[in-house]
Amino acid sequence: MIFLRDDLRPVRRRTVVFLACFVLAFAVIAFRLFSLQVVQAPYWRSLAENNRLRRLPLEAPRGLVTDCNGQVVMDNRPAFQLLLFPEEMKEPERTIQFLTRLGLAEEGEVRARVARAQRTSHLPSVIADNLSWAQMAAVAAHRADFQELAVHPATRRAVPAGPAVAHLVGQLGEVSPAQLAADSRLRPGQLVGKSGIELSYQEVLGGVPGNLVVVVDALGRQVSTLDEEPPKPGHPLTLTVDLELQREAAKAMAGLVGSVVGIDPRDGAVRVLLSEPSFDPDLFAGHLEPARWASLVADPLKPLQNRALQALYPPGSTIKPIFAAGALADGVRTPAQSVYCTGTSTIYGHPYRCWLAGGHGHVSLERGIEVSCDTFFYRLAFDAGLTRLAAWARRLGLGEKTGIELAGEMAGLVPSDEWSRRSRGHPWYAGETISVGIGQGPILVTPLQLAVAYAALVNGGFLVTPHLVPEGGKPPRPTGIDPAVLATVRRGMERVVAGEQGTARRLASLPVAIAGKTGTSQVMRKKEGVKWQELPWEQRHHALFVGYAPPAEPTLVVVAVVEHGGDASSVAAPIVARILAKAFGHDVEISTPQLLLANPSYQPEPTPPSGGPAQLAEVRP
Amino acid sequence: MKRLDLAMFVALLPILVCSHLLQSSTARALAQPAYASRQLLWLVLGAVLLLLFAFSDYRLLLRLAPLFYVAALLALAAMLFLAPLRAGTRSWLVLGPYTVQPSEFARIAAILAAAALGARHQKELLAGRTALQLTAVVAAPALLVALQPDLGVALTFVPILLAVLWLGGLPWRTWVVLALSVLLLAAAAWLWYLKPYQRERILTFLEPDRAPAGAGYQQRQSRIAVGSGGLTGRGLRSGTQSQLRFLPAQDTDFIFAVWAEETGFVGSVFLVLCYATVALRLFAIALAARDRGGTLLAATVAVVFTTQTLVNMAMVVGLAPTTGITLPLLSRGGSSLLATCISLGLAQSVWRLRFANL
Repeated sequence: MIFLRDDLRPVRRRTVVFLACFVLAFAVIAFRLFSLQVVQAPYWRSLAENNRLRRLPLEAPRGLVTDCNGQVVMDNRPAFQLLLFPEEMKEPERTIQFLTRLGLAEEGEVRARVARAQRTSHLPSVIADNLSWAQMAAVAAHRADFQELAVHPATRRAVPAGPAVAHLVGQLGEVSPAQLAADSRLRPGQLVGKSGIELSYQEVLGGVPGNLVVVVDALGRQVSTLDEEPPKPGHPLTLTVDLELQREAAKAMAGLVGSVVGIDPRDGAVRVLLSEPSFDPDLFAGHLEPARWASLVADPLKPLQNRALQALYPPGSTIKPIFAAGALADGVRTPAQSVYCTGTSTIYGHPYRCWLAGGHGHVSLERGIEVSCDTFFYRLAFDAGLTRLAAWARRLGLGEKTGIELAGEMAGLVPSDEWSRRSRGHPWYAGETISVGIGQGPILVTPLQLAVAYAALVNGGFLVTPHLVPEGGKPPRPTGIDPAVLATVRRGMERVVAGEQGTARRLASLPVAIAGKTGTSQVMRKKEGVKWQELPWEQRHHALFVGYAPPAEPTLVVVAVVEHGGDASSVAAPIVARILAKAFGHDVEISTPQLLLANPSYQPEPTPPSGGPAQLAEVRP
Repeated sequence: MKRLDLAMFVALLPILVCSHLLQSSTARALAQPAYASRQLLWLVLGAVLLLLFAFSDYRLLLRLAPLFYVAALLALAAMLFLAPLRAGTRSWLVLGPYTVQPSEFARIAAILAAAALGARHQKELLAGRTALQLTAVVAAPALLVALQPDLGVALTFVPILLAVLWLGGLPWRTWVVLALSVLLLAAAAWLWYLKPYQRERILTFLEPDRAPAGAGYQQRQSRIAVGSGGLTGRGLRSGTQSQLRFLPAQDTDFIFAVWAEETGFVGSVFLVLCYATVALRLFAIALAARDRGGTLLAATVAVVFTTQTLVNMAMVVGLAPTTGITLPLLSRGGSSLLATCISLGLAQSVWRLRFANL
């Protein structure tokens, strides 16, 4: 057999070409390794750290809030939050579907929350708080599928005092982008005060959130804790408010629409601040549920409005002591000067009626307050003129904000000719001055302003700044009204209750002596021969009463405004009486003719208005 | 024993040691201790097979190649009907606790068949007819594998074809035609064959920031692992990317990233050098072979081994798209390991018999 040596040279040549290519390729790999591992190492190392380290926000518990007796108004309770780490979200759509199935909120809302979370992609956002056990279990079961989600223990604001303090404590809400930009201590999705005390004292109550740095694996499980930066809890806050009185006010106002304000006339410390109807403050303790929010906003009775400082009412006859003080101080009237009331007086050719058809006869200033004689104050307004009336109202703080810590306060309205031309486009009509004289027409006050004005009448003439926290008040400003003048006015107000013809004489049998002034402000022009009980609810007059006790050295002024309450002495005065009695240690049962006033929306089966006379408040010690 | 290529063994030994270290590291990270011990068993078995084939006569095996080849085709065809569907493919046969991937062994049969066919035509240039035959011989098993479907393994058949065509001496005009048809084929595959996730992988490679959370995730995590290793690494079993499981497929496709993370530039370049040495020795064997069959066999083994190594490493360091091609010897998987050992054994046989007379 002949062995023919195969010529392998071409094959070997081609093999060498392969070899050369591969050597080059290995060199490229080595060079790439050098670039990744030596040149760019710090960059990749930091990415690896980001991969494994998660910063979990530790929410700072908000500060404890107590009333003046140490009773808890607001504290915290444990709750579980759901955090979303947007960077780790691979398929937002799938996550949104999952969160919707969890029942956190409706799909549109979930979508909005996820979108909001994605705006701050490097930090986790709170997607939901107050998770139920079932929701927590569902998240835990799907941890591997949704590594971007984490359940996190936290606290939730609790308001044991409930709806009675809803407007006072205010609402929490998610921090706004503008706030986030302004304060580096805030976190996306964090809850901050949006109104009430929560807003005014955010700096005190808020605390500083902390951080928990944990090592997580690719499934999002926490492997270990690396570093903990504990949160600084918010500071406690003690209010001047007396929860017991607040609750008493809430009981007395149950089913009514209006407001109760109680302040200490000596320094302006707020004891009671109630607005009805109210709402469950727990709704605003966490992240808002839009559906419930929408129903509150849509409610025609505006439960979210804090009527104590945001609702404006014509003061009605409660303005009379204020003008009386002004008239005495400026010499428009003397205590002895009297006016004869026939039931009607014609001014500018127009008949102005006193509320008592038959007239009051001879009426001095003190008696004018006692019987709330309209004629006396028509004459007084006529003699004083608008400018002086306005000055007297302003001197006692009307027409400007009282300066309470709460946001959204209204300034009210003290009219002037200039105001009329600017706002209404026509000059002031002289006849309007006469109406303003009895607190009707274009003069508007908040219940809180009324409380401050009366405080000045009874504390020796000092305008106080109402405040909710003991250190919150400013020093009282003197109004310069002569104490003798104030003494006359106060005697008049004492006669309102104690006098034989006093408009609130039904309160004379209370276990505590009180004084005050009734007020009924018209919603519609009075119809002849129609009793207020026969009018539809929304056409009835507002019932007002301002009371204080003890008459000699008052320590508490209480204002009650009942919208469409109809009658001041039978509706508003008993409410004030009940609170004043409670403040001085007496529990009184006062049956206000609630059924007559109950708003249809609070009474599924409205009781037809009875045609009988107004029930008198029964006062039992 | 003295007649074997010891230099290759010197380079292989560290690779096999690394393999075991890495398998125990990833088995720990994946909480699958059985992975490491099983792979160790395969390692031992692989070493035995390597020696066994080193002491075989490759010429005899080349003569028997048609037999192996037909058997392999039948086995692959049978797989399509008999093998259970696992992870979306019919690639594995289940034997008790073990799984066998016949496509890995079919590749050896294809190498042998292609080398045997190429050796019959001892001309300077390949005739068109022979080229077509070679193409058919390699394409048939590759297609069967692609039908399983296992694109990663099917792709490893491409270097076999490239190797035998190039070494056999395909005229340059044919290369041009081939290149054009590959382009056409690629376009067709893109349009009709590739699944959306496969397309996404290629797009992601071309544009890494395309989908950082989606298909780009693997590539990104791999680069983070490699880069964070730094100069000297984070220590064995201390790589956060692998131990906390950020790195996907860390015991298979991306095992080199684990090594790079845990031993750093020093360790990864060392391993690259080891692989390069093995590749170098395989080419040296091809150059030293006494006949055309031996040259073609050793060179094809060299090309397949080296391409697979380079493609995998390029993928790990972010120079190539994610293809599902594993790193020979290092990635977990018994069949792949055994098949690689057999092919290295074949090359050793060529070396051992380089001076042998007929």
